[in-house]
Order: sequence, then structure tokens, then C-alpha cells
Amino acid sequence: MKPFEYIAPRSLEETTALLARAGTDATILAGGTDLLVEMRRPNKMRKRVVVDISRVSELGGMITSDRSVVIRPLMTHARLQHSELLRIAAPLLASASAAIGSPQIRNRGTIGGNIMNAATCADTVPPLIALGATVTLRSAAGTREMPLSSLFLRPYQTIAAPDELLTEIRFPGLTADARSAFIKLGRRNALSISRLSVAAILRIGRDSRIAEARIVPGAAFPTWQRVTAAEALLLGERPSARLFAAAGACVSKEMILQTGRRWSTEYKEPVIAVLVRRALEQCAAPALPEDGK
Amino acid sequence: MTTQRTHIIGRGERRVDAFGKVTGKAKFAADYSLPHQLYGATLYAEHPHATITHIDTREAERLDGVFAVLTAKDIPGENAFGIVIKNQPVLACDIVRYYGDGVALVAAATREAAEAALALIRVEYAPLPVLTDPEEALLEGSVKIHGDSNIFVHHKVRKGDIENGFAEAEIVIEKKFKTQFIEHSALEPEAALAEPAEQGGIRITGSVQNLFSSRRSVAAALNLDLNKVQIVQATLGGSFGGKDEVMTALCCRAALLSLRTGRPVKMVNTREASMRESYKRHPYVLSYKWGAKNDGSITAMEITCIADGGAYASMSPFVTWRSVVQATGPYRCGNVKTDVYAVYTNNTYTGAMRGFGSPQVNFAIESMMDMLAEAVGKDPLELRLQNCFETGAETATGQTLDHHVSLSEVLTTAADAAQFSAHWKSFRGQTSGAKRRGIGLACSYRGVSLGAEGTDAAGTIVSVQTDGSVIVSSGITDMGQGAQTQMSQIAAEVLGIGMGRIQFLNTNTSRVPDSGPTVASRGTIMGGSAAKRGAEIVRSTMLKVGSHMTGEATGALDFRDEHLVRMSDGTHLATFAEVAAECFRRGLPMYGFGWFQSPKTSWDEERGQGEAYFTYVYGANIAEVEVDIETGKVDVLRFVAVHDVGRAINRSAVLGQFYGGVAMGLGYGLLESFDFEEGIPKQLNFDEYLIPTSLDVPPIRPVVIEHPDPAGPFGAKSIGEPANELAAPAIINAIANATGRRITELPATLERVLLGHALSRTGERGSQHKTSDESCKIRPAGL
Amino acid sequence: MTKIPITTTVNGTVHTLEIAPHQTLLELLREGLGLTGTKCGCEIGECGACTVLLDGEPVNSCLVLAPQIDGRNVSTVEGLMRANATDPLQDAFMDHDAVHCGFCTPGMLMSARALLAEDAHPDEASIRTAISGNLCRCTGYVQIIEAIKHVKP
Repeated sequence: MKPFEYIAPRSLEETTALLARAGTDATILAGGTDLLVEMRRPNKMRKRVVVDISRVSELGGMITSDRSVVIRPLMTHARLQHSELLRIAAPLLASASAAIGSPQIRNRGTIGGNIMNAATCADTVPPLIALGATVTLRSAAGTREMPLSSLFLRPYQTIAAPDELLTEIRFPGLTADARSAFIKLGRRNALSISRLSVAAILRIGRDSRIAEARIVPGAAFPTWQRVTAAEALLLGERPSARLFAAAGACVSKEMILQTGRRWSTEYKEPVIAVLVRRALEQCAAPALPEDGK
Repeated sequence: MTTQRTHIIGRGERRVDAFGKVTGKAKFAADYSLPHQLYGATLYAEHPHATITHIDTREAERLDGVFAVLTAKDIPGENAFGIVIKNQPVLACDIVRYYGDGVALVAAATREAAEAALALIRVEYAPLPVLTDPEEALLEGSVKIHGDSNIFVHHKVRKGDIENGFAEAEIVIEKKFKTQFIEHSALEPEAALAEPAEQGGIRITGSVQNLFSSRRSVAAALNLDLNKVQIVQATLGGSFGGKDEVMTALCCRAALLSLRTGRPVKMVNTREASMRESYKRHPYVLSYKWGAKNDGSITAMEITCIADGGAYASMSPFVTWRSVVQATGPYRCGNVKTDVYAVYTNNTYTGAMRGFGSPQVNFAIESMMDMLAEAVGKDPLELRLQNCFETGAETATGQTLDHHVSLSEVLTTAADAAQFSAHWKSFRGQTSGAKRRGIGLACSYRGVSLGAEGTDAAGTIVSVQTDGSVIVSSGITDMGQGAQTQMSQIAAEVLGIGMGRIQFLNTNTSRVPDSGPTVASRGTIMGGSAAKRGAEIVRSTMLKVGSHMTGEATGALDFRDEHLVRMSDGTHLATFAEVAAECFRRGLPMYGFGWFQSPKTSWDEERGQGEAYFTYVYGANIAEVEVDIETGKVDVLRFVAVHDVGRAINRSAVLGQFYGGVAMGLGYGLLESFDFEEGIPKQLNFDEYLIPTSLDVPPIRPVVIEHPDPAGPFGAKSIGEPANELAAPAIINAIANATGRRITELPATLERVLLGHALSRTGERGSQHKTSDESCKIRPAGL
Repeated sequence: MTKIPITTTVNGTVHTLEIAPHQTLLELLREGLGLTGTKCGCEIGECGACTVLLDGEPVNSCLVLAPQIDGRNVSTVEGLMRANATDPLQDAFMDHDAVHCGFCTPGMLMSARALLAEDAHPDEASIRTAISGNLCRCTGYVQIIEAIKHVKP
């Protein structure tokens, strides 16, 4: 690893002040599970300053306020995976957190890092977008809040300025009548990178018709987004295998519209449709396990 | 041979090296350091095939903290090593032939300085055409990697008359299979620490599997006598065949830097360097054509295998020789024509890996068996039982199997344990549900030890101390498989003492005789036989002394429970320690040097006939899988492994080999593939090269079958490699049972299972895969 | 670059150190403190050979920057023995032949230690999950799982 200057601020204010001074020279360290891998690569690490935010207590923890769930960026995947709060308010996010890497990675890796690293295979992002999450970026100059879906420019790139820090992830908790699912497909059963994933939320009304549907595939589109065309197919309909298959096919079609046909399309085209269908089936049959496998 | 009554043989004794390994005290090569040591690093080739036109090291030499920058011209002796064909350089001289060739070395005060210096070495290349396809390597007009032909091995087996065999056939099955490069993936990357020796020469502590062949190459490269090169084996963090030539290169390099600088030099490969440089398991292209009668009896086998040897010869001649001997599987067939070729390419060179030429052919053989079963309407077990070797059978190489051939027992035991036939029938032709179950069977016979491929002898030293404690050392190395424990257990059995009395020393080339390589699952049968002899020599001396001490005849005495006992009534007459002390007082040697040479083997290279191995082992694996036919994901749910090991010296260690072998075979079947793009490796660490995790390996039910073999110590044969060579075909056959579709290229990735072919970023490979996957032909004979 | 002063507890011993900031915890343990029991297998958090406990939780020490352990508690394989006696977990590994080449063993033990601290009688599924970040090429995990199941309390 190339030498650098290491600073561990203790407060948010100190952190933003540091970032303002250091500008593009600085990189932010939280859990380190992505950054340290990157820094080790020859000729990759060009940042002069590493700002370790892991001791900034304002950036840790999770609260509910005003029916919203507020997750601070230093929350580790392990904490989210075992969170009683999420089990009710956003079980799909708990599932996604549980599907990341390994116990060691989940003990260190943070949700903030997972978001800001912006890898297309980031497992917490599809559930968060499905949940309608917004994020808050803060710098010495002020704060701005935006939907998570508009944070990403392209793979590995967000719109955050070098001096901006992710301070908060906020989403409305799922209502009691909503059901959710997260499905991840990897090549092996642990330490696995998502080949494809799907986050889905369904709300079925008293009339047994679908009142709300959200579908967000992972590792499929250039950046994450709800597939509104597929969601629209579902609204007002009664859940059925055929309907869910049609929604899956629609997601698949949308994917190809956006990405074009690539080397991996022959595989992803049928499989994303299957995963979407299965996620929806899981939502419609909440008794099924939601462990992401 | 009947099973001898024993006390400690067969028990699951704790390993002799376990304590050090659970406490962190065990020292692996990278754990050693010496005062004033320097750090060595290797600069690798930037092209898979190129002429080196110029190397400028001046800037690197000027860097602060740099003590030496060396290139090929600094090698005082022979810059070429290789067990059969010496064509691999310690450092590439004028041509680089693969992406892991070393070009220059640096020794510096810190790792950072060494890395920085590497970046300052200027190497100019003139790129040459890159050859990566082994089938293309066969063509006249292809680029030549060494000399004027890329074919450097052609092994044959000729038996009967292949034309007649096919003329007799009522069914002909023809299929092409492909296997992949596999990285050994020992958890410990290669490491060596070299220091100048007091009387000249060099001493190296390293993660070396085959110390004596590495020593030969270091001595040759440095122009030193063998007795001036001492290689000490550090505790070895796994090898699986993988720490041979790559360690030879590392030892040579560390030694060069150390002698040049006069300082200790430590070299530790990063995982990336290890994967880039180290040799792999050979990928094979296998063309199988079998003729059979409608009743399932096999009339002809015509087999051609092309092994990608990569840039250097390495162990290819031996690896492919095992393939040619075992290419028909354990099945009777009167007419056989087998050709196995090894060719040079600019891929990473390939060499020894657990299995050693058998996993590739077993995949093809066992797939063919299931296809034949399908074609003649039999269940796979029934067809195997109908065709498999029994005692007295003649192999394809004309060898009569005169030991107890237990294959049918092994097969039926496995089938019963897994309820194979019932499951196989019930899983066939499933038409509903996305998750389909399947069960698959594979079996094999395997020649024990090196066979006719080389000199096969080993030595073990048993030295009883004056207090009755014992030191054992051997030329056979322990890589984690437990060789030290088996040898200790054998010595303890002979001496009638507990394992607690034995201390095993890691192998040191200056203190034990050259015992050949620890490969070919020969550790127990060779090192163990030598340990038995060594212990018997000491025992005989001690019994004589015991006789003098007690007045009893030596024949009436025995050592048991750490005592000299009268056999007739079991009375303890003296302690083992007392007899040892008495031996010392009388000035008698308590040092037993045991040497064991394997029984004779023979080989006629032209016809491929002979007594290839002095004995064989038999095994069967059954896999039960669940295939997600909508995503291609395969999970192995249950596994049964049955092996006739002759005799289990240490039961838990034998089971450990079963389990580990299955897991490695599962990786071979489903996950692992070391891929190249134009000769440049695509995976260099465990994030991309995927080996099975604890969530991928299923529960494994082991059954040990023991038919002691007169050739082995206490009847023991071998298990390390047999355990590893069957899981992949069992899994592939299970997938076929579940889906009705046959995978002909390993591994069975998501894409292959779902689509029938692989996808590749380059786009070209995908289309090639498509055509070859459709190459299956099953047709009536004569069409 | 300036060195960073840290105070950390490793296996119960308090260390006050001046460290280079670009050092990983793994490097600090092996090279700075001579605790070579913790192994280096991949340096990217995939193999788990470098697993140690940080405040009781298993982490890959290759992915922790040494300055990050300031004020925190680190346990390594060297700390498992107490008063010259092996820990029951170590005994179980020896008795179930869960140790082959031994390179994954230190990390494996630390993952198992953390699991057992939470659940003295884990079922097979939790054991498999707990060691899913520790690659082993020798054992197929079977005997490791057996060992963890049979640790005597």
C-alpha cells in the first residue's frame, strides 16, 4: 500500500471541514472492505489523505422518526442483518445485508460504503431504492437531500462532490400490509458477488388486487431504478403466476432496451425474468423464507 | 492378505503437528525472518510471448534501499530446469513464453522499496504471435514455442484391433469433452527464505513440496554441489501438487539474491503473483469414441486427448502418462487405441495437481458410461457392474490385476448407501418444477504411486533417544495431508509406543536421503513402508537387548504399551525407556534407516503395454444435486464417497482426504476455471477464482473399505488423489439425471447448465462452446 | 508520512505503538508484534486466513487499517491458550482432525470462537454460516464443522 496521511475526525463538523480542505486529495474510509482492496492495487491509490470516519458517532446508528427509518452510513451489514427494526420495517434490506460477502465482511462493511462505492452489484441498493430511500449529503457548505436513485451517475460513480459526505439514508418503513423480497443469484453460496438480484415490494389491497408494486433489479441495469413499466402491469391485478411471469418478461425487455445486447444478455435475459417472478411470488406468499437464497 | 491385528494402526490419532497448528506456533515459510534480511521480488513478463530486446536496470539499482537487481545474465550456472525436459528458465533470457515468466529480480531493504524498484526496471519487448489454443498448437503452421514442434508428448496404448472392435459394435457413441485450467489454491502462497551458509553454499527454508528436485535445480543454477544446498521444509500450508516447479523457481531466485548480497533474502508471493506465475491443472480436449453391443458390453474404445502443457514441459510427460494408462476407466474392453498428446502454448504452464491426469479422463469416461447406459437402456450402476474389472481382469495396458479388485463391492456399497438406483429412476424425466433433483455415479481405478513413470523409492529414519523418546524424519513431506502422522503411527505400532513419544522433524535435504517427490499419493505407501522398516531395525536391536536384560528369548518378547512384554502372559518386564537406556549403555545403535523401493513395474512405450503400476485402488462417488433449471444454479445436497484404501493407517486422516477430495472435485465440477484472454490470466485472486465455501460443500457420507494389499505397510495403499478424481463426473452425471441434458465442458457454471454453453466477455469463446457442446453423436454402428 | 500513536489491547496485553498509517492490522500483528499465527492468504478479505476478533467480532485483519484499532481489543490465535492449557475449541479441532495443512486454522478458530461466544450449542447451519468467510482447501469443512459442534463447554 502506498503511504498516505491518516486523519480520524471525531465529529461531523470536523469531518466536513477536513473534506473541504483536502478536496480531491482525500478519500473516505469507513469499514474499509472496498477501499482497502482498492488501495492495495498497484498504481490505484493516488489519494494523499485518508479520512477515517469510523469514529464519528453522529454517523452511526439507526432510528425511526415520524414513520421513517433513518439509517446512518456507518451501520454495518451485520447490524442491519440482525436488526429487529428492519425485520418489520424493511425485511428485504435485512435479507440483502445478510447476503453480502461473509461474516467478516458484514462485520466491517457499512451501508454507506456499499452505496457510495456504487458498484453495480451492491446488494443493499436495490432494496433501498425499492423502499423509496432518500440520502443526505453534507459538506461544510450545507446539506442536500435527494432520492437515492438520482445519486448514481454510472457504475462506481455518484454525483457527490469530493467534499460531500453521506450522512443519512431515510425511507418510510413498510406498512403492515406490504410484503417484500430480495433474491440474489451468485455463483456460490457465500463470498459471492451478485450475478443478478431483485428487490420487490408488493401491497395487496383488501380487494385482493395489487395496490402497489415496486421492482428494482440489481446488476442488470447500468444504474438502479424501479422498472415502472413492469410495476404498471401489476397494479390493480390479482396476483397470479402468469401475471408475475409477465412482469418478469417486462423487466427483461426493459433491461435489453437500456443495455443493448451484450455478451451476458443471453443469460441475463431469461434469468432476470425468473428472479422477478420469484420475488413477486415470495411477496404474494409471505410464508416463504426470505433469506435471499 | 488378511488384516493384521494392530494397536495404533487404524485409530484416529491426533496429528503430530496439530498442536502447533491450533496454537499459532506452527511456522510456515512466510513466518520465518532473519536479522538483516532483505526482501526479494520478481518482475514478470509483460507479454505472454515476446522477445526481450533490452533490459535496463540502472535506475532501479540507484533507488535507495535496493541491494541487487539481477537478470538472467547473473545466473552463474544452468538457467534451465525441468524434471523431464529442462526448458524452463529461472529468469527468462531472450524470450518470454508466458505471462508469469520472471524477467528480473530485486532485493531491497523493504518490500515497498523492492516493489518500487521493480517499477523502475525498463524491459523492451518485441511481441511474438500468441498461441493459446492447444488444438491449434497441433497444426503445421502454428507458432512454435520451443523448437520445431509444439507436440512434446505422445503416449499411446494399443490393444487388440480397434477396427474389429468397431465392426463388432452395435452402437457407437462419440463425444468431445473439454476441461479447464485449475489453480491449486493452497491457502498458503509460496514463500522462501534463503541465507548464505557458513561453509559456502546456501540454506533455504521454504514452502517446498518436492525438496530434492528443487535442490537439484538450485544447485545447477548456482553451480554448487548438492551438499552445499540445504533446503528445509517449513510447515506447508497446502500444496496439492502445486509447490513444485514454482517453488523451484522461487528457491533459485531467493538463493541468487542472497548469494549476491550476502544477506538473507525473503521472498513471499502475493496471491496475485502466485496465481500469475504458478502452474495449473492441465485442461484437456478429450475425444472419446466407444463401440458397444446392445447388451452394454464394450467392444472398442478410441480415445484422443490433447493436454495443454502451456509454456513449459514441467510434469506434463508424467501427468499425461497416467491419463493414457487410465483413459479407458476400470472397464473391460478388448480393443483399445488411446493417444494422449501434450502441447506447448503461451498459456501458463501446467503440471502436477492432485489427481495428476485422472480427473480429466474420469470426467470423459464416466460421462461416456452414463451415455452408454442411456443408449442401451440400463441403469448406470448395472452397466458399470457389468463391465467393471474384477480380480484377474486384464487392463488396457495388458496388466493382469492379481491383487484383490474390489470395484464391484465399492460400487454396490456406494449405491446402497445413496439408494442410487431407486433415486436415479425416480428423478429421471422430471417435467415439473424449477428445482430438479438428480443423482449421479462415478467410479475409477487408480494406479498407486509413481508406477513405471519413474524411480520409486523412499527413506525414513527412526531414531530412538536414550530416554525412549523417538525422532522420525523422512524424505517424504507433509503438506497437510498427514504424512508425518501416518509415518509416526506406523513407527509407534512397530515399537509398541504411544504417539506422544514421537517427534517428527520437517524434511531437510541435508539430513534425509533423496526420496523422490511426495506426489502420486505415495506418502503412506512409500514413506510408511520405509518408516516400518526403520522402526523394525531399531526394534530388532532393542529386542535383543531386552532378551539380554530378561533372559527371555527374543521371539518370546514384544513391545507393547510402552513396555517390553512377555508375549505368553503379557507381563511387563521393563519400560521402553529402560530398554533404550540399556541399548545406549551397551553402545548399540538405536537408529533405524528404512529404505523402501517399490515392486517392479514395466512399460513398453511404443505399444503402451505393461505392468503400469504395482497395485491399484478403487473408489466410487455418488452426488445428489438440485438443479434450478431456470437459473442454472446447481446445489449439491448429499454426497457418498467410498474408497478401498487397503488399510486405513489413521482413520480420521483418511476421512479427511475423502472430504477434502470431494470439495476440491466439487469446485472442479461446478465453480472453478482459471481463464485466459490471449494468454493473460483473467483471475488473480480469490474474489474471481471461486473455490467452494462451507456453504457449498454438502454433508458427505464416507465409507472406508479395507482390503489390505501386500504391497503396502500394514496393507495400506493410498487415498489423497483417488478422493479427488470422482466428484466432478458424479455431479455432472447427476445434473444429466436431473435435466436430461449433458454438460460436456467443465465447470457446470450457471450459463452452461442453463444455456448449454459458456459466455465470455470476448464473445468468441461463446460461439466455439456452442458448436462443441453439440458435438454429441449417438448412432447405430455403420451409419 | 507521520506515524500515528495508538494504544491497543492485543490478547489482553496493552500496547502503545507508533505506527505507519498505511499498515494493515495484519501487517502490524505479523511484523510489528511478531504474532505470526495470523496468516496472510489473499489480502483482499476473501480467504479469511487473517481473521482476528476486533472487540469480539471476527474481521479480516487485512481489511482493517492499523490506526483503526486505537483503543480497541484484538484477539488472535495466540491468545486462545490460557495458563498453558489449550482451549476446548483447540482440543476439539485436534480431536476431530479439523487441522490439515493448518493455514486456515487460526482464522477458522477465531470465527468459531466468536460463534461459540454467542451460542454455545450452534446447529450445523449456523456453523456453516459462521465459517463461510474462511476458505479451506484441505478438509471440505466437514471435520471443522464436527469439531465446532463438539466443543466441550
